[in-house]
Amino acid sequence: MSAAAELPTKEAHILKGHEGAVLAARFNGDGNYALTCGKDRTIRLWNPHRGILIKTYKSHGREVRDVHVTSDNAKFCSCGGDRQVYYWDVSTGRVIRKFRGHDGEVNAVKFNDSASVVVSAGFDRSLRVWDCRSHSVEPVQIIDTFLDTVMSVVLTKTEIIGGSVDGTVRTFDMRIGREMSDNLGQPVNCISISNDGNCVLAGCLDSTLRLLDRTTGELLQVYKGHISKSFKTDCCLTNSDAHVIGGSEDGLVFFWDLVDAKVVSKFRAHDLVVTSVSYHPKEDCMLTSSVDGTVRVWKK
Amino acid sequence: MGPDEEDFVFHGTPIEREEEIASRKKKAVAGASGNLRTLPAWKQEVTDEEGRRRFHGAFTGGYSAGYYNTVGSKEGWAPQSFTSSRKNRAGARKQSISDFLDEDEKADMEGKSLSASSQFDTFGFTAAEHSRKQAEKEQHERPSAIPGPVPDELVAPVSESIGVKLLLKMGWRRGHSIKDVRASSDARREARKAFLAFSTDENTKETPDSLVSEAEVETSLGPQYSEDIKISESTPVYVLNPKQDLHGLGYDPFKHAPEFREKKRSRLSANKEVGFRKPLSMKESLFGPKSGKIAPGFGIGALEELDVEDEDVYAGYDFDQTYVIEDEQPARPSNDNRLRLTSKEHDVLPGFGAAKNSDYSMERFNPPKIPKDFVARHKFSGPLEAETKPTVSAPPEVPPPADNNLKLLIEGFATFVSRCGKLYEDLSREKNQSNQLFDFLREGNGHDYYARRLWEEQQKRKDQSKLTLDVKLSPIVQKMTAETRGSLLGEKPLQRSLTETDTSASSGGSFQFPTNLSDTFTKSASSQEAADAVKPFKDDPAKQERFEQFLKEKYKGGLRTTDSNRVNSMSESARAQERLDFEAAAEAIEKGKAYKEVRRATEQPIDFLAGGLQFTSGGTEQIKDTGVVDMKSSKTYPKREEFQWRPSPLLCKRFDLPDPFMGKLPPAPRARNKMDSLIFLPDTVKAASTRQVSESQEPKKETSIEEPEVEVEVENVERPVDLYKAIFSDDSEDDEDQPITGKIQEGQEKKNEAAATTLNRLIAGDFLESLGKELGFEVPSDVPYQEGFKPIEEESKSRSKPEDSSDKRLDRSGLKEKVEEKRSSLILGSEEEKSRKKREKSPRKRSGGNDLSSGESSGDERRRKRSNKKDRHITNHSESDSSSDYHSRDKQGSRSRRKRRESSREKRSSHKKHSKHHRTKKSSSSRYSSDEEQKESRREKKRRRD
Repeated sequence: MSAAAELPTKEAHILKGHEGAVLAARFNGDGNYALTCGKDRTIRLWNPHRGILIKTYKSHGREVRDVHVTSDNAKFCSCGGDRQVYYWDVSTGRVIRKFRGHDGEVNAVKFNDSASVVVSAGFDRSLRVWDCRSHSVEPVQIIDTFLDTVMSVVLTKTEIIGGSVDGTVRTFDMRIGREMSDNLGQPVNCISISNDGNCVLAGCLDSTLRLLDRTTGELLQVYKGHISKSFKTDCCLTNSDAHVIGGSEDGLVFFWDLVDAKVVSKFRAHDLVVTSVSYHPKEDCMLTSSVDGTVRVWKK
Repeated sequence: MGPDEEDFVFHGTPIEREEEIASRKKKAVAGASGNLRTLPAWKQEVTDEEGRRRFHGAFTGGYSAGYYNTVGSKEGWAPQSFTSSRKNRAGARKQSISDFLDEDEKADMEGKSLSASSQFDTFGFTAAEHSRKQAEKEQHERPSAIPGPVPDELVAPVSESIGVKLLLKMGWRRGHSIKDVRASSDARREARKAFLAFSTDENTKETPDSLVSEAEVETSLGPQYSEDIKISESTPVYVLNPKQDLHGLGYDPFKHAPEFREKKRSRLSANKEVGFRKPLSMKESLFGPKSGKIAPGFGIGALEELDVEDEDVYAGYDFDQTYVIEDEQPARPSNDNRLRLTSKEHDVLPGFGAAKNSDYSMERFNPPKIPKDFVARHKFSGPLEAETKPTVSAPPEVPPPADNNLKLLIEGFATFVSRCGKLYEDLSREKNQSNQLFDFLREGNGHDYYARRLWEEQQKRKDQSKLTLDVKLSPIVQKMTAETRGSLLGEKPLQRSLTETDTSASSGGSFQFPTNLSDTFTKSASSQEAADAVKPFKDDPAKQERFEQFLKEKYKGGLRTTDSNRVNSMSESARAQERLDFEAAAEAIEKGKAYKEVRRATEQPIDFLAGGLQFTSGGTEQIKDTGVVDMKSSKTYPKREEFQWRPSPLLCKRFDLPDPFMGKLPPAPRARNKMDSLIFLPDTVKAASTRQVSESQEPKKETSIEEPEVEVEVENVERPVDLYKAIFSDDSEDDEDQPITGKIQEGQEKKNEAAATTLNRLIAGDFLESLGKELGFEVPSDVPYQEGFKPIEEESKSRSKPEDSSDKRLDRSGLKEKVEEKRSSLILGSEEEKSRKKREKSPRKRSGGNDLSSGESSGDERRRKRSNKKDRHITNHSESDSSSDYHSRDKQGSRSRRKRRESSREKRSSHKKHSKHHRTKKSSSSRYSSDEEQKESRREKKRRRD
């Protein structure tokens, strides 16, 4: 089977519009739209399949580091250097609420499945859970067991998973009230969860991606070859969980085979640091964003 | 509504307007007559002649804004058209001048006024208007900072010069010549030109527009000149160079820095030549170092300051950084010189010429001739070399003295003297005159040997210094460090090893050798060597080298000799930055070593530090012995640990999950102030031991078996909390609890007293204890100041009495307190009052029940102890929830965070230790009425005191 053939390595569109680095690019729930955010303090809504900019959202005071859309596409949340989490209305472009409370920049945000809460990961070594339903502006919960900056957060139906520079991936299970801390020994840059929900892929700052078994905490595989040492670069898995994708600081994008950790494919996606990779929820399509100010759409 | 009113029949329509106007007029009249003045201020209205409400108070919202022009009401500041709807937002309405004009004024504005056409422009007004417009048009062609035409008022022509006026006064009349009619107009013209040149700025000549204007002036003046002596009607000198900068009128930014004026001007003219404007370099130089790394293109809010956060991490990829700099670089100075030269060469002032032959001539001298044997290097006749001269001849080789100690001493001393100079020898000779050991300094035993050693050492040193000098001479080798050089030459690191053996040997002897002194300044060389082995800046050899240099200097201590010639290629800020880097790296190395040692001891790998460091200090590479740890990490990582974590009920609700902790007590609150953490900080050892105990207990933590060993620890510690408090806590903290007026100035005093009493108590403790026991003391409540407490005291006493004998042991400490209290009251007299207050306040924060001194009665304490037993398991339970996690977590440790947590955990555990009672009271106060009561009584007490 020619693995590389079914990977999205052909450039379909370039989304240009951001001035300055693009820090994150995210598909929406069904993959028809994409949200990007960057150093120009804007969030942009695109149709990546046609390469059209639909809307620009401005309100952030500093760079926007992460953005996430609800599954019903009605709202999205964003966060960034201004230490706040913004809760937006997609259609009107208004900020519904701002959640203040982080003592430092906010690195990542995620909605839960029902979009009732936003979880944000901050430089202040905490995860904060914000309530979207009530009018309370206080966090529902503050998780501050991390020893260093929390870089990335992922939610499942019952768990909150955070990856931190202290080298841990911590899973907070709400059903049993336990915290599972998997110490990788290396600063964790980005985490993403496999589509079957059994594994966590953690991008570490020693230029390594690590695949962990979630139930046992076992290290399943290590992926190397790219450069990830000082920038926040993303990693993710393909829809079939067959391949691992990681962005590199030299502008390349790497595809590894999940099982035997071979580099199946790598290509130059950008001139500069690839900050984010996002995989289409259903099709073989991928978004990459870069410091060079562009977002590229990749298809088979 | 009388019935008669219904009979009225109205015909036609009443002319209301008339009436209205009339009423208005009436009002106006009334206002004028002062009737209105009786009205309250906010009811008064300003009207115009016709009684209409006059528009005024534009700045406060038009008409009378709010209550009498204050915007203190709901009406004040009401926007003109306030349409606030989510979907249909009010657009920014553009206001025009007509919004603010009355009708009559509008009528004026709308061009209904008459004006003379140019045909009939007798008085020239229209012509003036026309010319003004012309000027306006012209203005567009030569831009200046002030938009629009130059206001007439500013440059109103002077109709008559003062000279003309004077002449007129002296009897001269227009049209008449003063004298010398034939004075050639050419000469006059020349003189005027010179005058013009004076009055204009010297350089404006070069700018084309000023030339133009001058020409204009000339031409406009031309005919008048020809008209014999007729003096011009207006002085023509104004607006010769349009204002092109943004400074205030008359402000000269270059007043004290004329050289910049030159620079600026030359740049401006250069710009004009090239045809585009470069960004002002001033900005660059002002904000350069700061803003170099800001994200491209986007500023931050005006009210925010630039931060570390604003640095662009991607700055390495910033492209437009380069072009900004080049602006400042070009060789302007030379340009300036040229300008100045030329301006000197040419005749700037018409009418003046450069002298052909001047008396003054510059005498030039040839540079002095350098003697052929001159070497371009200065030799310092330092103390070292100067003093070696007399002893150049080598003393004879002498066998060392038999006494080994003496030999060592002599050798060491010789080394030291050779290093520090002869002065040191003299000094120590004086000092140790009576000392037998130092006889060798004064022709005594071993002097010959000493002389020999000294000479040898000095030879060595000379060689070395020569070597270094030689090396320094050749520029190629300049970048070498001493180490590399040494290794190249195959020599051993002389100095250090020598002193080390010396010191180690001498310290083995019976005396302490002074060379140790030099070593106290330097850290152990072993650490330095280890540091040398680690290369955090491998990828940048130059930097690494500098780092090594830095380390060396750091560990050598003492006076630092930075060789500036190497570093000065870097900018100040870069150097500072690098220094910070180095310091961080050095610290990390040291820490890493400490950790390694720990690891060796405990066999527990700790790699947080390394990991954390790598990310935070971007420049430094990860510091660790890579190979080994990598191997290790692959085996030890990932490590899984589990802790208890308590999701908030609302979180569970939002995730549609049942709360696993439903119905359980909330976790214990955290410490309230920094004093707490401070107080419990120092006893790490104890904390560690307890931690270990509780760790072993962890599996069965939700049982209540922990009790006994916690019990043991209760007695464990008594700490001079007052002492800490007196030293560290601030008064505001205390005052919060018990605000006392007029006490603040005594704060310091109070502190001292508190400290003193604490010490007293500690010292007197044992004595009093035994004393109290012997006497079988029923301590009377403290007499001198007790009025306030009486009721409670009595109550508690009465309660305590029946059980008194049995409780003696338990209450001993309390007793002790009282005895001592009394004593100190005797001793300290009036001061007692204050210190008591202090102590009284403290129980809240202070832990021990034992310390609940004067105010607390023994009965209370007993009750608490009893209740304590009852609810202890509850406390334990709630504590174990929260603290067990911390215990196990602490094993991992971390950097600063770890410390903090440790202290907080210590707080926890020592809370457990000291403040059993205190805690229980807090957590279960609602249930146990006795505690409630006690609290109440304390509060009561306070109230009374106040």
